[in-house]
Amino acid sequence: MNASQSWVLVADDTVAAGLVEVARTLTTEVVAVVAGRLAVAEAVAHVVDRVVWLGEPADAPVEAFAPAVADLLAQAAPLAVIGATTPGGRALLGAVAARLQAPVLSGLGSVELADGHVVVTRSMLGGVSEHRTRFEGGTAVLAVDPRADVDTAGSPVPVEEVVAPPLRTARILDVKVKEHAAVNLDAAKVVVSVGRGLKAQADVALLESLAEAFGGELACSRPLAEGVDWIAKERYIGISGQHIAPDLYVAVGISGQLQHMVGVRDAKVIVAVNSDKDALIFAQCDYGIIGDLYQVVPALTAALRGTA
Amino acid sequence: MKIVVAYKWAPNPQDAKVRPDGTVDLSRAKSAVSEYDPVAFELARRLADATGAEVIGLTVGAAAIDTPLARKAALSRGLDRLVLVADDALAGADGTRLAAVLAAAVTAIGEVDVVLAGDSSIDVAEGQVPLTVAGQLGWLGLSRVSSVVADGEGLTVERDLPGGVTVLAVQTPVVLAATADAVVPKVAGMKDILAAAMKPVEVLALADLAVPGAQVSLTTLATARPAGGERQAVLFDAADPATAASQLVGALRQAGAL
Repeated sequence: MNASQSWVLVADDTVAAGLVEVARTLTTEVVAVVAGRLAVAEAVAHVVDRVVWLGEPADAPVEAFAPAVADLLAQAAPLAVIGATTPGGRALLGAVAARLQAPVLSGLGSVELADGHVVVTRSMLGGVSEHRTRFEGGTAVLAVDPRADVDTAGSPVPVEEVVAPPLRTARILDVKVKEHAAVNLDAAKVVVSVGRGLKAQADVALLESLAEAFGGELACSRPLAEGVDWIAKERYIGISGQHIAPDLYVAVGISGQLQHMVGVRDAKVIVAVNSDKDALIFAQCDYGIIGDLYQVVPALTAALRGTA
Repeated sequence: MKIVVAYKWAPNPQDAKVRPDGTVDLSRAKSAVSEYDPVAFELARRLADATGAEVIGLTVGAAAIDTPLARKAALSRGLDRLVLVADDALAGADGTRLAAVLAAAVTAIGEVDVVLAGDSSIDVAEGQVPLTVAGQLGWLGLSRVSSVVADGEGLTVERDLPGGVTVLAVQTPVVLAATADAVVPKVAGMKDILAAAMKPVEVLALADLAVPGAQVSLTTLATARPAGGERQAVLFDAADPATAASQLVGALRQAGAL
């Protein structure tokens, strides 16, 4: 094993700062392998010590480069491989993990080097437990949130081209860009979220007013985004949706199932409004109002606006 | 065409008992077909009905995943047959181990064209295993699949990605992981449940499969209950909503949350 190197797996996306950050905590030398356009490799070249670029993808999806990336990592056998928790990142990590016969850990808190071993803290089973875990016997494979764009202020290293043909079994025919405006729940300090307690789509307006009164963004639990499509999927909080950590999270008509709460576990303050006094959410919030949302939400909106 | 649906018989961590030292007791958590996996069953059935393919369910895990209830729960969801690897050597196995066993079982089933999986499991919830299966098989693996239809020699696959819905022409073999809302799964009726009892089940012995050995191991150094998990709810009575609302806003201002 080459204990002086960490490798970061970069899909076709300059949002990779989080990967490099974790790699830097482990080793002095950080190598990036880029399965994407040259422009991405050139951006990443500002923040790492070596960049290996696999050539222009043309109409191949990122995932088609997974076997080539696994080949490179099998040769390099670094201390750690860090990939992104994105669709493309997971595919590259999967191929590397299979080649190295190594587990992939995610949900990470701290990452450190202790006596030559990579040691991480990670949250388990949707966050009900936290483990401190040591890797032994080979490369530590980690999946982390890529977080932000790489900083291109520093001087870049040269991009090394290692032409690696992608799998030819898939071609991108078309990308239909989404029409509705992009939302960034990550950046919102206050998020007001609504769930199954809402009775009709027209009533979403009540929550929009409340979110506006808080100066926050509107979000929802899974049934409202995927069951009935009342609120855009990008605003859905939960296991397979967004994970956020706002200063204030206001859960309205949400029962508090683990699959939802895992997405807001790191919120500073959680407020719940629910008509069911036995709802699970009341054991997981800082403040709660037991009452009908159709009465409480307008009252709360008025109180915030000082018009009560 | 042969379609394998790789699914998980998993406990719901909602019902886990977490001890003060952070260790988890899942003995009272009931297992079921993992929450998003019925979407994969439904996608597989629809693709099979359109192409005349066979749909084979596949799950691997500890011995406890093979019960009459567990077999019926899977077989009543549109499968033609079921293949299991149930061995206590897989209790607590990490995702890469499970993926290696799934891939070895796919190879043992033979001539598989498509492996379909759900978005992520209810217990681990990472969405990694289907892509590690693809890595193990050396096949293309695509997640976030919202639609798959047969198209001549290959498949037309749509993926719901952050950049937009991406349409791809895909040749088999391929591993596809569905989004949580790709289709609305059909609820199994009495007829499906009765028919399930008649469908073939094959149990593969772990020892007979070509599973590569683990190279990297994990040691748990410590466990803990996560900090912040203990929120103390201050409750306001909404008998008078306006009073409750102003009390809450006052409390939030006082706590510096507003």
